[in-house]
Amino acid sequence: MSGDAANLALPLSRLSAGTSEATTLYRELRKPLLRYLVCLGLSSDEAQDVVQDAFLNLHRHLAAGGSQENIRGWLFRVAHNQARNRQNRYDRNFSAPSDEEIDGASHEETPERAVLEKEKFRQLGKAIRLLTPPERECLLLRAAGLRYREIGEVIGIATSTVNDTVARAIKKVADKCNV
Amino acid sequence: MCDFSEKLVAWLDHELSFEEAAELERHLEGCLECRSGVDAYKRASSELSAYCDEILESQARRGTSRLVLAAATIGAAAAVVALILALPRTRVERSALHRVQAAAAASPAIVAKGMPAVAKPIQKVHRRHAATPVQNQGANDAAAPGQASFALPEEPAIQIAIPADEMFPPGAIPEGMHFVADLTIAADGSAERLRLSPQLAAVERSTNQP
Repeated sequence: MSGDAANLALPLSRLSAGTSEATTLYRELRKPLLRYLVCLGLSSDEAQDVVQDAFLNLHRHLAAGGSQENIRGWLFRVAHNQARNRQNRYDRNFSAPSDEEIDGASHEETPERAVLEKEKFRQLGKAIRLLTPPERECLLLRAAGLRYREIGEVIGIATSTVNDTVARAIKKVADKCNV
Repeated sequence: MCDFSEKLVAWLDHELSFEEAAELERHLEGCLECRSGVDAYKRASSELSAYCDEILESQARRGTSRLVLAAATIGAAAAVVALILALPRTRVERSALHRVQAAAAASPAIVAKGMPAVAKPIQKVHRRHAATPVQNQGANDAAAPGQASFALPEEPAIQIAIPADEMFPPGAIPEGMHFVADLTIAADGSAERLRLSPQLAAVERSTNQP
């Protein structure tokens, strides 16, 4: 699992400490949320909108005296549902970003390595697009640092199902990419 | 396939219980297949994380480049507008001299008023002299500073000498009768008013003599 997990394990009591803590929370969770939404198939602008709405909802939720348990899972669930709503509203199916989404301006020092890197990402994108939606969502939420229980809460499936789905998805990706 | 292979990913994600994890770790020591599986899943997870980062960064770069392009377009448009606004917008008035010159150039026999030494206003002009070169008094006056060469004249500034044969049939005008035409030129160079004054050459000569 990603190393972000430890950083994102937020002590919920921090939320009551004031605006600075809320700012810290936004700073820590904004990028993982954006990354999940963009990899889910939203455009950058759409992802920004969803993240802002999610934090706005969090503010309302906390102001209304809502539960402060597992704020990270709560935010991902809200963002995931909003992405789903957009999917239904615009009658489209989200899938992994196409190869064109990768502009190739990577950090590689030489053009050859940049080409190899882009090819690797192209293969990964192809493998991810072949996954079923639950497999893709489980894999991306896992890459965002969520635990299986949290993934289950976001998607609405049992933790044991998440376990099996993640294992199946990661094997498919490993086989397709020959890693 | 090894029975433990289904638990490898969960073990990597620290999702197994303490007892299950300990059992799997003992198994890994003697199972090459599961160790290779763990390595492959680790690499796949790492690559997947890098892929997600790359997608996010590509989207951000694309958004930035769109912003830069939009800013450049707006900047270029603003520069063009500023350039247009900065251009001098003063209207260049054609001076009276230029208008007189233009009118004189368009007419075959225009003489400026007040230049009797060169072109006498009372003068019989024969047809063959109709195309006499224009005598431009204004151009001579322009060299002298302080004169009103570039000011609009308050009264008709030029006289046009027209041969009588051009206007009347032969014999209709008594011998020695001439016409002086006072032509007022409008601002656009067109003839605004034409006034003909009949004069006798003999009377003119006698009145001109001291």
